[in-house]
Amino acid sequence: MNLEYLLKELYFRKRRTLTAIFSLALGICILITINALSSAYTEAARMPLKEIGADITVQRAGNVPENLVGPVFACSAVTIKSDEIKQIRHLQGIQGFGQALLLWVFDADRFTIVLGIDPENPVGPGILRTQMTHGIFLEKGKNQALAEVSYAKNYNIQTGDNVTVGGKTYQISGIVDASKATKIAVANIYLDMVDAQKMAKESKQVQNVSPFESKDANLLFIKANPKQIDALARSIKDIIGEKASITTPASFLKHLGSLFSLSDKFSLATSLMALVITVLIVLKTMAGNLAERSNEIGVLKAVGWSNKDVVSQFLGESILQCLAGGILGLIFTLIATFLLGHMQVNIPIPWEMSPTPHFLPGGGDPVFKTLQLPVTISWRLAAFSIILSTVIGAVTGGLLSRHIARIKPSEVLKNE
Amino acid sequence: MNNILTAVNLSKTFDSLQVVKEVSLTIKNGEFVCLVGKSGSGKTTLLSILSGLEQPTSGTVSINGTSITDSSENELALFRRGKMGFVFQSFHLIPTLCAWENVALPLFPIKMDKEKRKKRAMELLCQMEIDHRADHRPSTLSGGEKQRVAIARALVNRPEIIFADEPTGNLDSETSGAIINILKHLHEKNGMSILMVTHDQDLATSADRIVRMQDGKVVS
Repeated sequence: MNLEYLLKELYFRKRRTLTAIFSLALGICILITINALSSAYTEAARMPLKEIGADITVQRAGNVPENLVGPVFACSAVTIKSDEIKQIRHLQGIQGFGQALLLWVFDADRFTIVLGIDPENPVGPGILRTQMTHGIFLEKGKNQALAEVSYAKNYNIQTGDNVTVGGKTYQISGIVDASKATKIAVANIYLDMVDAQKMAKESKQVQNVSPFESKDANLLFIKANPKQIDALARSIKDIIGEKASITTPASFLKHLGSLFSLSDKFSLATSLMALVITVLIVLKTMAGNLAERSNEIGVLKAVGWSNKDVVSQFLGESILQCLAGGILGLIFTLIATFLLGHMQVNIPIPWEMSPTPHFLPGGGDPVFKTLQLPVTISWRLAAFSIILSTVIGAVTGGLLSRHIARIKPSEVLKNE
Repeated sequence: MNNILTAVNLSKTFDSLQVVKEVSLTIKNGEFVCLVGKSGSGKTTLLSILSGLEQPTSGTVSINGTSITDSSENELALFRRGKMGFVFQSFHLIPTLCAWENVALPLFPIKMDKEKRKKRAMELLCQMEIDHRADHRPSTLSGGEKQRVAIARALVNRPEIIFADEPTGNLDSETSGAIINILKHLHEKNGMSILMVTHDQDLATSADRIVRMQDGKVVS
């Protein structure tokens, strides 16, 4: 293969060269962008749970409280018994586990959403440790509470103040801005889990609707091996029963709607289609190139080039063009993903995960997690596209080499 | 004097049409032979068979005692690269390569320094008095210049015989004369064996010997 000859052919036959390079670049760009977009939506769907340090949340639906007095359970989160928690905790694939207790507290002067949390556990609302605006985070056994920043502002609550919820008084150890961290498990007041469990156990309204013991909870947060999330969700449903409400990244993808939830099969089919069309265009361009240059091939053979010499020359052209197409495609993809990365996506939070009662102002409003689409190209995909381009070049060149071998110089060089 | 080319009982049939019929021919070393005949007489087909570009239906061809009739396509390519030079009516230069690169084209598959290749091509372009156009592409050359480049290309591998198929067919009479003079010069000064196909009787007089073809047969 003569490189100078090869480069001159590509340079002086600009139209064909550019058609082949741009077709392939476009195909590669579509292929990688669709895959990157699909991964981005999958990653985006993980975000609401990831923010709370979990991959799965578990709740159980129950009955509406009879009277909205004192501490009650939301109908979307009633008791999960301690023995059920124990069973779930020992399932295979679980990498981290947290529990919480959500209560609506109807006091005479105010309504408060209370969340009992394990302050030392990073899986679940314990992650709020990083979102403190004033004071210190909860400490176990100290009868403390955290106030959410907007609630604190409404009721003029400051660090060190005492706040009474459900007839019990707690000292505010700090103010937390939960909205920046998560849309799930947002509350007005955060208590130590033990204090919240005590409050629930002593509440008649809670006990009437859903019997509760001091080791029970009503919200579970599970960090799991990504490959085992769906299997775990099924096992948890078996334990909790029909009324289980299990949220996984797949649930968020479903909420995003069919347009956004590019399934693996859809992206695979689209990618393959783009690839096939690209290969056909490249093949057509190369075939046209050969037809245009059959005289040239005849001359090469007449002056002593063997079939192998001619084929390697044309194969080199084909591979180089496709390689250039692959690299250009990657550049196109970088631009496309950079632009798509500025796109904002609203992920709807399922109503059962929204802590505000629907009968209160703003309670029925849809809640969204808004984030920038995390579109990135993995180095594996980039390497794959370059290899793929080279393979397309080699295969196309290889397919056409049979045609090259059939060209007889005596036929193409006959006098015009 | 030894024969550089010996052809015995050559025939070529395309479908049911026999275009070369039982032709036997010899060319001596250093001989300039002109193959003349009307259009369709089979002279170009005969030249293609003699140069190994086409296989005969029957008969044999030997170059310097080596039979090329049963050789594979690749063996023939190597044989052409080492022992033959070609000049075509339509020049058949590669449009994307400049003049010196076109001359060096047969040397591309050989492992040879670019400098050596260029030096050899430039020597020949100088011999053809066209070295000042070495870096020009064919589209910027006149017909005569293109044919000089094509002759230089035919000589680059130091062939034993040159096959020229209507080399002046696309040229005006003045340029045709110049091209024939170059071929005559190569024959007289360098002792080059040449087989030239032409339908121009006047040009044929430049050759040592004229072979006439009619209806696929050698008639004189």
